[in-house]
Amino acid sequence: MNVTRILQFLSARLSGRRLDWLLACVALILGLLPARALAPWTSDVSRVVAVPIVPMMHMGMAVRDRVRPARDVFDPRAPEVVSLEMAAERFRSLYEQARLRSEALEREAAELKGVRSRLGPNSAELSTATVVGIDPTRRDGTVRINAGARNGIRADAAVIARGDVLVGIVSADIGELFAQVIPVSRRSVSVRLYPDDPADANRNPADYPGTVLKPVEGGRWVGDIASNADLREGQIARIDDPRFGAAALGMRVGRVRRVIMNDQVPLARKVEVEPLVDLASERTVVVAVEPQRAPQ
Amino acid sequence: MRWSVYFLAVLLAVAFDSSLGAVLEVSGAQPRLLPCVVVFALLAAPRGLAVRAAMLAGLVADLLSPAVRADGTQLVVIGPWVLGFALGSLAVVPLRSLLYRRNAIAGGFATLVFCMLAAVAFVMVWVLRILLTRDDSPAWWPGSGAGEVWIQTKSAMASAVLALPALWLLEKSRVAWGFSSAKKLVPGAARETA
Repeated sequence: MNVTRILQFLSARLSGRRLDWLLACVALILGLLPARALAPWTSDVSRVVAVPIVPMMHMGMAVRDRVRPARDVFDPRAPEVVSLEMAAERFRSLYEQARLRSEALEREAAELKGVRSRLGPNSAELSTATVVGIDPTRRDGTVRINAGARNGIRADAAVIARGDVLVGIVSADIGELFAQVIPVSRRSVSVRLYPDDPADANRNPADYPGTVLKPVEGGRWVGDIASNADLREGQIARIDDPRFGAAALGMRVGRVRRVIMNDQVPLARKVEVEPLVDLASERTVVVAVEPQRAPQ
Repeated sequence: MRWSVYFLAVLLAVAFDSSLGAVLEVSGAQPRLLPCVVVFALLAAPRGLAVRAAMLAGLVADLLSPAVRADGTQLVVIGPWVLGFALGSLAVVPLRSLLYRRNAIAGGFATLVFCMLAAVAFVMVWVLRILLTRDDSPAWWPGSGAGEVWIQTKSAMASAVLALPALWLLEKSRVAWGFSSAKKLVPGAARETA
Protein backbone atom coordinates (compact mmCIF):
# COMPACT_ATOMS: atom_id res chain seq x y z
CA MET A 1 0.00 0.00 0.00
CA ASN A 2 2.87 2.31 0.86
CA VAL A 3 4.37 1.75 -2.58
CA THR A 4 1.06 2.68 -4.21
CA ARG A 5 0.91 5.82 -2.13
CA ILE A 6 4.45 6.75 -3.02
CA LEU A 7 3.72 6.21 -6.69
CA GLN A 8 0.55 8.29 -6.46
CA PHE A 9 2.48 11.01 -4.67
CA LEU A 10 5.24 10.96 -7.26
CA SER A 11 2.84 10.98 -10.22
CA ALA A 12 1.01 13.93 -8.67
CA ARG A 13 4.23 15.80 -8.03
CA LEU A 14 6.22 14.81 -11.08
CA SER A 15 4.40 16.18 -14.04
CA GLY A 16 4.95 18.89 -16.58
CA ARG A 17 8.08 20.92 -16.14
CA ARG A 18 9.23 19.09 -13.02
CA LEU A 19 9.29 15.81 -14.92
CA ASP A 20 11.27 17.42 -17.75
CA TRP A 21 13.84 18.74 -15.30
CA LEU A 22 14.05 15.39 -13.55
CA LEU A 23 14.63 13.59 -16.88
CA ALA A 24 17.26 16.15 -17.89
CA CYS A 25 19.05 15.73 -14.55
CA VAL A 26 18.99 11.94 -14.95
CA ALA A 27 20.40 12.31 -18.48
CA LEU A 28 23.14 14.64 -17.21
CA ILE A 29 24.09 12.25 -14.42
CA LEU A 30 24.15 9.31 -16.85
CA GLY A 31 26.19 11.37 -19.30
CA LEU A 32 28.79 12.12 -16.64
CA LEU A 33 29.10 8.64 -15.18
CA PRO A 34 32.52 7.04 -15.66
CA ALA A 35 32.95 4.38 -18.31
CA ARG A 36 33.14 1.54 -15.80
CA ALA A 37 29.64 2.40 -14.58
CA LEU A 38 28.15 2.62 -18.09
CA ALA A 39 29.91 -0.15 -20.00
CA PRO A 40 28.23 -3.11 -18.22
CA TRP A 41 24.70 -2.16 -19.25
CA THR A 42 24.44 0.55 -21.92
CA SER A 43 25.67 -1.72 -24.71
CA ASP A 44 22.98 -4.26 -23.80
CA VAL A 45 20.26 -1.59 -23.90
CA SER A 46 21.62 -0.34 -27.21
CA ARG A 47 21.50 -3.85 -28.64
CA VAL A 48 17.86 -4.26 -27.59
CA VAL A 49 16.88 -0.93 -29.18
CA ALA A 50 18.76 -1.86 -32.36
CA VAL A 51 16.76 -5.07 -32.88
CA PRO A 52 13.75 -3.49 -34.66
CA ILE A 53 15.97 -1.01 -36.51
CA VAL A 54 18.52 -3.37 -38.04
CA PRO A 55 16.16 -4.90 -40.66
CA MET A 56 15.15 -1.39 -41.76
CA MET A 57 18.83 -0.36 -41.90
CA HIS A 58 19.60 -3.44 -43.97
CA MET A 59 16.93 -2.52 -46.52
CA GLY A 60 18.18 1.06 -46.55
CA MET A 61 21.76 -0.07 -47.19
CA ALA A 62 20.59 -2.24 -50.08
CA VAL A 63 18.84 0.77 -51.60
CA ARG A 64 21.88 2.97 -50.92
CA ASP A 65 24.18 0.58 -52.74
CA ARG A 66 21.88 0.71 -55.75
CA VAL A 67 21.42 4.47 -55.69
CA ARG A 68 25.02 5.46 -54.99
CA PRO A 69 27.49 2.62 -55.53
CA ALA A 70 31.12 3.08 -54.57
CA ARG A 71 32.75 5.36 -57.15
CA ASP A 72 35.65 3.13 -57.98
CA VAL A 73 33.55 0.03 -58.67
CA PHE A 74 32.35 0.80 -62.20
CA ASP A 75 35.30 2.29 -64.02
CA PRO A 76 36.30 -0.27 -66.66
CA ARG A 77 38.95 2.01 -68.19
CA ALA A 78 40.90 2.56 -65.01
CA PRO A 79 44.45 1.19 -65.32
CA GLU A 80 44.09 -0.95 -62.23
CA VAL A 81 40.93 -2.54 -63.68
CA VAL A 82 42.74 -3.31 -66.96
CA SER A 83 45.68 -4.81 -65.10
CA LEU A 84 43.25 -6.82 -62.96
CA GLU A 85 41.58 -8.21 -66.06
CA MET A 86 44.96 -9.27 -67.42
CA ALA A 87 45.81 -10.80 -64.10
CA ALA A 88 42.48 -12.65 -64.13
CA GLU A 89 43.36 -14.23 -67.51
CA ARG A 90 46.73 -15.27 -66.17
CA PHE A 91 45.18 -16.73 -63.07
CA ARG A 92 42.69 -18.72 -65.16
CA SER A 93 45.63 -20.59 -66.68
CA LEU A 94 47.17 -20.99 -63.29
CA TYR A 95 43.87 -22.30 -62.00
CA GLU A 96 43.87 -25.16 -64.51
CA GLN A 97 47.44 -25.90 -63.61
CA ALA A 98 46.54 -25.85 -59.96
CA ARG A 99 43.64 -28.24 -60.50
CA LEU A 100 46.04 -30.87 -61.80
CA ARG A 101 48.31 -30.34 -58.87
CA SER A 102 45.42 -30.40 -56.40
CA GLU A 103 44.93 -34.14 -56.93
CA ALA A 104 48.43 -34.79 -55.72
CA LEU A 105 48.09 -32.26 -52.94
CA GLU A 106 44.88 -33.83 -51.68
CA ARG A 107 46.80 -36.94 -50.84
CA GLU A 108 49.29 -34.88 -48.92
CA ALA A 109 46.50 -32.95 -47.25
CA ALA A 110 45.05 -36.15 -45.86
CA GLU A 111 48.37 -36.78 -44.18
CA LEU A 112 48.60 -33.22 -42.92
CA LYS A 113 45.08 -33.41 -41.52
CA GLY A 114 46.19 -36.18 -39.28
CA VAL A 115 49.03 -34.01 -37.96
CA ARG A 116 46.77 -31.00 -37.54
CA SER A 117 44.20 -32.89 -35.53
CA ARG A 118 46.98 -33.69 -33.14
CA LEU A 119 48.25 -30.12 -32.97
CA GLY A 120 44.79 -28.56 -32.86
CA PRO A 121 43.30 -26.03 -35.28
CA ASN A 122 45.49 -22.97 -35.69
CA SER A 123 44.12 -21.18 -38.73
CA ALA A 124 41.43 -18.54 -38.84
CA GLU A 125 37.86 -19.41 -39.70
CA LEU A 126 36.42 -17.09 -42.32
CA SER A 127 32.83 -15.98 -42.56
CA THR A 128 31.30 -13.38 -44.81
CA ALA A 129 28.99 -10.66 -43.54
CA THR A 130 26.99 -7.81 -45.00
CA VAL A 131 27.27 -4.25 -43.73
CA VAL A 132 23.76 -3.52 -42.51
CA GLY A 133 24.13 -0.18 -40.77
CA ILE A 134 26.44 2.72 -40.10
CA ASP A 135 26.58 5.15 -37.21
CA PRO A 136 23.57 7.49 -37.57
CA THR A 137 25.42 10.47 -36.15
CA ARG A 138 28.93 10.25 -37.57
CA ARG A 139 30.47 8.99 -40.78
CA ASP A 140 33.56 7.44 -39.18
CA GLY A 141 31.70 5.70 -36.38
CA THR A 142 31.10 2.03 -35.79
CA VAL A 143 29.53 -0.17 -38.44
CA ARG A 144 27.01 -2.95 -37.91
CA ILE A 145 27.37 -6.29 -39.73
CA ASN A 146 24.79 -9.07 -39.97
CA ALA A 147 26.93 -11.74 -38.35
CA GLY A 148 27.04 -12.31 -34.64
CA ALA A 149 27.71 -14.81 -31.94
CA ARG A 150 25.62 -17.45 -33.74
CA ASN A 151 27.98 -17.21 -36.70
CA GLY A 152 30.95 -17.72 -34.45
CA ILE A 153 32.01 -14.06 -34.48
CA ARG A 154 34.18 -13.06 -31.56
CA ALA A 155 35.55 -9.79 -30.22
CA ASP A 156 38.80 -8.52 -31.78
CA ALA A 157 38.30 -10.59 -34.94
CA ALA A 158 39.82 -8.98 -38.03
CA VAL A 159 37.36 -7.61 -40.60
CA ILE A 160 38.71 -7.77 -44.13
CA ALA A 161 37.51 -6.25 -47.39
CA ARG A 162 38.57 -6.59 -51.01
CA GLY A 163 40.73 -9.63 -50.40
CA ASP A 164 43.49 -8.41 -48.13
CA VAL A 165 42.62 -4.99 -46.77
CA LEU A 166 42.06 -4.85 -43.01
CA VAL A 167 39.14 -2.46 -42.50
CA GLY A 168 38.06 -3.01 -38.94
CA ILE A 169 38.05 -4.95 -35.72
CA VAL A 170 34.96 -6.55 -34.19
CA SER A 171 34.12 -4.75 -30.97
CA ALA A 172 33.16 -6.44 -27.74
CA ASP A 173 29.52 -5.58 -28.40
CA ILE A 174 28.37 -8.73 -30.21
CA GLY A 175 24.72 -9.65 -30.52
CA GLU A 176 23.36 -13.02 -31.47
CA LEU A 177 22.74 -12.02 -35.08
CA PHE A 178 24.78 -8.86 -35.57
CA ALA A 179 27.96 -7.26 -34.34
CA GLN A 180 29.57 -3.83 -34.23
CA VAL A 181 32.83 -3.22 -36.05
CA ILE A 182 35.26 -0.46 -35.10
CA PRO A 183 36.93 0.97 -38.21
CA VAL A 184 40.66 0.35 -38.20
CA SER A 185 41.13 4.07 -38.91
CA ARG A 186 40.09 4.72 -35.30
CA ARG A 187 42.79 2.43 -33.89
CA SER A 188 46.53 2.88 -33.45
CA VAL A 189 48.27 0.32 -35.63
CA SER A 190 51.83 -0.81 -36.01
CA VAL A 191 52.72 -1.10 -39.70
CA ARG A 192 55.56 -1.46 -42.15
CA LEU A 193 55.67 0.67 -45.27
CA TYR A 194 56.11 -1.43 -48.39
CA PRO A 195 56.82 -0.08 -51.85
CA ASP A 196 53.81 0.22 -54.13
CA ASP A 197 55.71 -1.67 -56.81
CA PRO A 198 55.85 -5.34 -55.80
CA ALA A 199 59.09 -5.86 -57.80
CA ASP A 200 61.33 -5.49 -54.76
CA ALA A 201 58.95 -7.27 -52.40
CA ASN A 202 61.46 -10.06 -52.00
CA ARG A 203 63.54 -7.97 -49.66
CA ASN A 204 63.74 -8.79 -45.99
CA PRO A 205 60.66 -7.28 -44.24
CA ALA A 206 63.00 -5.76 -41.64
CA ASP A 207 64.37 -3.49 -44.41
CA TYR A 208 61.04 -1.75 -44.77
CA PRO A 209 60.50 1.16 -42.39
CA GLY A 210 58.11 0.48 -39.55
CA THR A 211 56.04 2.92 -37.55
CA VAL A 212 53.09 3.16 -35.22
CA LEU A 213 50.26 5.00 -36.92
CA LYS A 214 48.10 7.11 -34.66
CA PRO A 215 44.61 8.15 -35.78
CA VAL A 216 44.07 11.83 -36.47
CA GLU A 217 41.14 13.93 -37.61
CA GLY A 218 39.68 13.14 -41.01
CA GLY A 219 39.97 9.35 -40.74
CA ARG A 220 43.73 9.28 -41.41
CA TRP A 221 46.78 8.26 -39.44
CA VAL A 222 50.10 9.94 -38.73
CA GLY A 223 53.29 8.08 -37.85
CA ASP A 224 56.83 9.12 -36.93
CA ILE A 225 59.81 7.59 -38.66
CA ALA A 226 63.30 8.21 -37.35
CA SER A 227 65.54 6.63 -39.99
CA ASN A 228 66.91 7.41 -43.41
CA ALA A 229 64.69 4.79 -45.04
CA ASP A 230 63.24 5.54 -48.44
CA LEU A 231 59.82 7.16 -47.94
CA ARG A 232 57.55 7.98 -50.85
CA GLU A 233 53.95 8.85 -51.46
CA GLY A 234 51.94 5.83 -52.50
CA GLN A 235 53.79 3.34 -50.30
CA ILE A 236 51.54 0.66 -48.86
CA ALA A 237 51.17 0.26 -45.11
CA ARG A 238 50.90 -3.37 -44.06
CA ILE A 239 49.92 -4.55 -40.59
CA ASP A 240 52.83 -5.54 -38.39
CA ASP A 241 50.87 -5.75 -35.18
CA PRO A 242 50.36 -9.01 -33.31
CA ARG A 243 47.40 -7.54 -31.42
CA PHE A 244 45.18 -8.08 -34.45
CA GLY A 245 46.01 -11.76 -34.68
CA ALA A 246 47.90 -13.87 -37.17
CA ALA A 247 45.16 -13.52 -39.79
CA ALA A 248 45.63 -9.76 -40.03
CA LEU A 249 49.42 -9.80 -40.07
CA GLY A 250 50.80 -8.46 -43.36
CA MET A 251 47.46 -7.20 -44.62
CA ARG A 252 47.23 -3.89 -46.40
CA VAL A 253 45.66 -1.10 -44.40
CA GLY A 254 46.55 2.23 -45.96
CA ARG A 255 48.58 4.24 -48.44
CA VAL A 256 51.13 6.97 -47.71
CA ARG A 257 49.50 10.24 -48.65
CA ARG A 258 52.18 12.66 -47.58
CA VAL A 259 55.69 12.61 -46.21
CA ILE A 260 56.28 15.54 -43.89
CA MET A 261 59.92 16.57 -43.60
CA ASN A 262 61.52 18.22 -40.61
CA ASP A 263 64.28 20.64 -41.75
CA GLN A 264 65.90 20.82 -38.32
CA VAL A 265 66.03 17.05 -37.80
CA PRO A 266 66.40 15.45 -41.24
CA LEU A 267 66.00 11.90 -39.97
CA ALA A 268 62.78 12.60 -38.07
CA ARG A 269 59.99 12.50 -40.58
CA LYS A 270 56.25 12.03 -40.36
CA VAL A 271 54.08 10.08 -42.74
CA GLU A 272 50.40 10.71 -43.25
CA VAL A 273 48.56 7.56 -44.24
CA GLU A 274 45.03 7.31 -45.58
CA PRO A 275 42.94 4.12 -45.36
CA LEU A 276 42.73 2.10 -48.55
CA VAL A 277 39.08 1.24 -48.01
CA ASP A 278 36.31 3.10 -46.21
CA LEU A 279 34.49 0.50 -44.11
CA ALA A 280 31.19 2.44 -44.20
CA SER A 281 31.14 2.28 -48.00
CA GLU A 282 31.61 -1.49 -48.20
CA ARG A 283 28.77 -3.84 -48.96
CA THR A 284 30.25 -7.14 -47.79
CA VAL A 285 33.22 -7.98 -45.61
CA VAL A 286 34.96 -11.12 -44.42
CA VAL A 287 35.47 -11.75 -40.72
CA ALA A 288 38.49 -13.85 -39.79
CA VAL A 289 37.87 -15.55 -36.47
CA GLU A 290 40.95 -17.08 -35.03
CA PRO A 291 40.67 -20.17 -32.87
CA GLN A 292 40.41 -19.36 -29.21
CA ARG A 293 43.56 -19.88 -27.24
CA ALA A 294 43.30 -22.42 -24.48
CA PRO A 295 43.33 -20.85 -21.02
CA GLN A 296 46.83 -20.77 -19.56
CA MET B 1 0.00 13.36 -29.92
CA ARG B 2 0.15 9.62 -30.48
CA TRP B 3 3.39 8.42 -28.89
CA SER B 4 3.38 5.14 -30.82
CA VAL B 5 3.38 7.01 -34.13
CA TYR B 6 6.11 9.33 -32.90
CA PHE B 7 8.29 6.46 -31.68
CA LEU B 8 7.84 4.59 -34.96
CA ALA B 9 8.77 7.74 -36.91
CA VAL B 10 11.88 8.18 -34.74
CA LEU B 11 12.97 4.58 -35.38
CA LEU B 12 12.38 4.96 -39.12
CA ALA B 13 14.33 8.22 -39.15
CA VAL B 14 17.28 6.66 -37.31
CA ALA B 15 17.24 3.70 -39.69
CA PHE B 16 17.25 6.16 -42.61
CA ASP B 17 20.15 8.14 -41.11
CA SER B 18 22.08 4.91 -40.53
CA SER B 19 21.78 3.68 -44.07
CA LEU B 20 20.15 5.52 -46.94
CA GLY B 21 21.00 8.94 -45.52
CA ALA B 22 24.61 8.50 -46.65
CA VAL B 23 23.38 8.87 -50.25
CA LEU B 24 22.57 12.52 -49.57
CA GLU B 25 26.04 13.35 -48.22
CA VAL B 26 27.66 16.29 -50.00
CA SER B 27 31.33 17.04 -49.23
CA GLY B 28 31.17 15.65 -45.72
CA ALA B 29 27.82 17.21 -44.80
CA GLN B 30 25.35 14.43 -44.16
CA PRO B 31 21.76 15.52 -43.54
CA ARG B 32 19.84 13.77 -40.80
CA LEU B 33 16.16 12.96 -40.85
CA LEU B 34 15.84 12.48 -37.09
CA PRO B 35 15.97 16.24 -36.26
CA CYS B 36 13.37 16.88 -38.98
CA VAL B 37 10.96 14.40 -37.37
CA VAL B 38 11.58 15.90 -33.93
CA VAL B 39 11.07 19.46 -35.18
CA PHE B 40 7.87 18.42 -36.93
CA ALA B 41 6.59 17.02 -33.64
CA LEU B 42 7.82 20.06 -31.69
CA LEU B 43 5.97 22.46 -33.98
CA ALA B 44 2.68 20.67 -33.48
CA ALA B 45 2.77 18.78 -30.18
CA PRO B 46 1.44 20.21 -26.92
CA ARG B 47 4.08 22.33 -25.19
CA GLY B 48 4.10 20.11 -22.13
CA LEU B 49 5.18 17.08 -24.15
CA ALA B 50 7.67 18.78 -26.46
CA VAL B 51 10.82 18.44 -24.37
CA ARG B 52 10.03 14.85 -23.43
CA ALA B 53 9.47 13.91 -27.07
CA ALA B 54 12.78 15.47 -28.06
CA MET B 55 14.60 13.70 -25.22
CA LEU B 56 13.16 10.36 -26.34
CA ALA B 57 14.59 10.89 -29.82
CA GLY B 58 17.91 11.96 -28.28
CA LEU B 59 17.95 8.77 -26.22
CA VAL B 60 17.57 6.66 -29.37
CA ALA B 61 20.37 8.66 -31.04
CA ASP B 62 22.64 8.13 -28.02
CA LEU B 63 21.93 4.41 -27.89
CA LEU B 64 22.71 3.86 -31.55
CA SER B 65 25.89 5.92 -31.81
CA PRO B 66 28.51 4.42 -29.52
CA ALA B 67 31.72 6.35 -28.99
CA VAL B 68 34.95 4.69 -30.05
CA ARG B 69 37.52 5.17 -27.30
CA ALA B 70 41.25 5.56 -27.59
CA ASP B 71 41.87 2.04 -26.31
CA GLY B 72 39.87 0.59 -29.18
CA THR B 73 36.76 -0.27 -27.20
CA GLN B 74 33.37 1.30 -27.64
CA LEU B 75 31.09 2.89 -25.11
CA VAL B 76 27.44 3.87 -25.30
CA VAL B 77 27.01 7.09 -23.34
CA ILE B 78 23.44 8.08 -22.60
CA GLY B 79 23.01 11.81 -22.16
CA PRO B 80 24.82 13.99 -24.69
CA TRP B 81 22.19 13.81 -27.42
CA VAL B 82 19.34 13.59 -24.87
CA LEU B 83 20.38 16.94 -23.42
CA GLY B 84 21.26 18.30 -26.86
CA PHE B 85 17.79 17.55 -28.18
CA ALA B 86 16.23 18.92 -25.00
CA LEU B 87 18.07 22.22 -25.46
CA GLY B 88 17.14 22.30 -29.13
CA SER B 89 13.49 21.76 -28.25
CA LEU B 90 13.60 24.56 -25.66
CA ALA B 91 14.69 26.88 -28.48
CA VAL B 92 12.19 25.65 -31.04
CA VAL B 93 9.08 25.65 -28.85
CA PRO B 94 9.11 29.46 -28.28
CA LEU B 95 9.68 29.91 -32.03
CA ARG B 96 6.31 28.34 -32.73
CA SER B 97 4.54 31.61 -32.07
CA LEU B 98 6.86 33.42 -34.51
CA LEU B 99 6.76 30.88 -37.34
CA TYR B 100 4.02 29.75 -39.62
CA ARG B 101 4.17 26.16 -38.45
CA ARG B 102 2.92 24.46 -41.58
CA ASN B 103 5.38 26.24 -43.82
CA ALA B 104 8.27 23.98 -44.83
CA ILE B 105 10.75 26.89 -44.98
CA ALA B 106 9.85 27.87 -41.43
CA GLY B 107 10.36 24.24 -40.48
CA GLY B 108 13.75 24.24 -42.18
CA PHE B 109 14.80 27.28 -40.16
CA ALA B 110 13.56 25.65 -36.96
CA THR B 111 15.53 22.51 -37.87
CA LEU B 112 18.70 24.55 -38.33
CA VAL B 113 18.26 26.21 -34.92
CA PHE B 114 17.43 22.88 -33.32
CA CYS B 115 20.45 21.07 -34.79
CA MET B 116 22.89 23.86 -33.96
CA LEU B 117 21.85 24.05 -30.32
CA ALA B 118 21.73 20.27 -30.02
CA ALA B 119 25.28 20.06 -31.38
CA VAL B 120 26.54 22.73 -28.98
CA ALA B 121 24.97 20.94 -26.01
CA PHE B 122 26.32 17.61 -27.26
CA VAL B 123 29.88 18.96 -27.36
CA MET B 124 29.46 20.71 -24.00
CA VAL B 125 28.27 17.55 -22.25
CA TRP B 126 31.20 15.61 -23.69
CA VAL B 127 33.68 18.33 -22.65
CA LEU B 128 32.18 18.32 -19.16
CA ARG B 129 32.43 14.55 -19.12
CA ILE B 130 36.11 14.63 -20.08
CA LEU B 131 36.85 17.23 -17.42
CA LEU B 132 35.09 15.29 -14.68
CA THR B 133 35.96 11.68 -15.48
CA ARG B 134 39.39 12.27 -17.07
CA ASP B 135 39.49 8.75 -18.44
CA ASP B 136 37.32 9.02 -21.50
CA SER B 137 37.88 9.81 -25.14
CA PRO B 138 35.14 11.99 -26.60
CA ALA B 139 32.76 10.81 -29.32
CA TRP B 140 34.77 12.77 -31.88
CA TRP B 141 38.12 11.20 -30.96
CA PRO B 142 40.70 11.54 -32.59
CA GLY B 143 39.31 14.86 -33.88
CA SER B 144 38.91 18.04 -31.88
CA GLY B 145 35.84 19.56 -30.28
CA ALA B 146 36.00 22.52 -32.65
CA GLY B 147 36.21 20.15 -35.59
CA GLU B 148 33.16 18.32 -34.29
CA VAL B 149 31.21 21.60 -34.00
CA TRP B 150 32.13 22.38 -37.62
CA ILE B 151 31.04 18.90 -38.79
CA GLN B 152 27.78 19.22 -36.87
CA THR B 153 27.24 22.72 -38.29
CA LYS B 154 27.56 21.37 -41.82
CA SER B 155 25.23 18.53 -40.89
CA ALA B 156 22.76 21.05 -39.41
CA MET B 157 22.72 23.07 -42.62
CA ALA B 158 22.22 19.92 -44.67
CA SER B 159 19.45 18.79 -42.31
CA ALA B 160 17.73 22.15 -42.73
CA VAL B 161 17.70 21.59 -46.49
CA LEU B 162 16.43 18.04 -46.04
CA ALA B 163 13.73 19.39 -43.73
CA LEU B 164 12.04 21.18 -46.64
CA PRO B 165 10.81 18.02 -48.40
CA ALA B 166 10.73 15.96 -45.18
CA LEU B 167 8.42 18.34 -43.33
CA TRP B 168 6.23 18.68 -46.41
CA LEU B 169 5.87 14.88 -46.48
CA LEU B 170 5.31 14.66 -42.72
CA GLU B 171 2.66 17.34 -43.01
CA LYS B 172 0.73 14.97 -45.28
CA SER B 173 0.66 12.40 -42.47
CA ARG B 174 -0.53 14.91 -39.85
CA VAL B 175 -3.83 13.06 -39.29
CA ALA B 176 -2.01 9.90 -38.20
CA TRP B 177 -0.05 11.78 -35.53
CA GLY B 178 -3.20 12.76 -33.64
CA PHE B 179 -2.15 16.30 -32.82
CA SER B 180 -4.87 18.10 -30.93
CA SER B 181 -6.13 21.20 -32.73
CA ALA B 182 -8.37 22.41 -29.91
CA LYS B 183 -7.19 25.51 -28.06
CA LYS B 184 -7.54 25.90 -24.35
CA LEU B 185 -9.46 29.03 -23.42
CA VAL B 186 -8.10 30.82 -20.38
CA PRO B 187 -9.57 33.83 -18.70
CA GLY B 188 -7.63 37.07 -19.18
CA ALA B 189 -7.96 40.80 -19.08
CA ALA B 190 -9.22 41.10 -22.66
CA ARG B 191 -11.79 38.35 -22.19
CA GLU B 192 -13.06 39.95 -18.96
CA THR B 193 -13.43 43.31 -20.72
CA ALA B 194 -15.44 41.67 -23.48
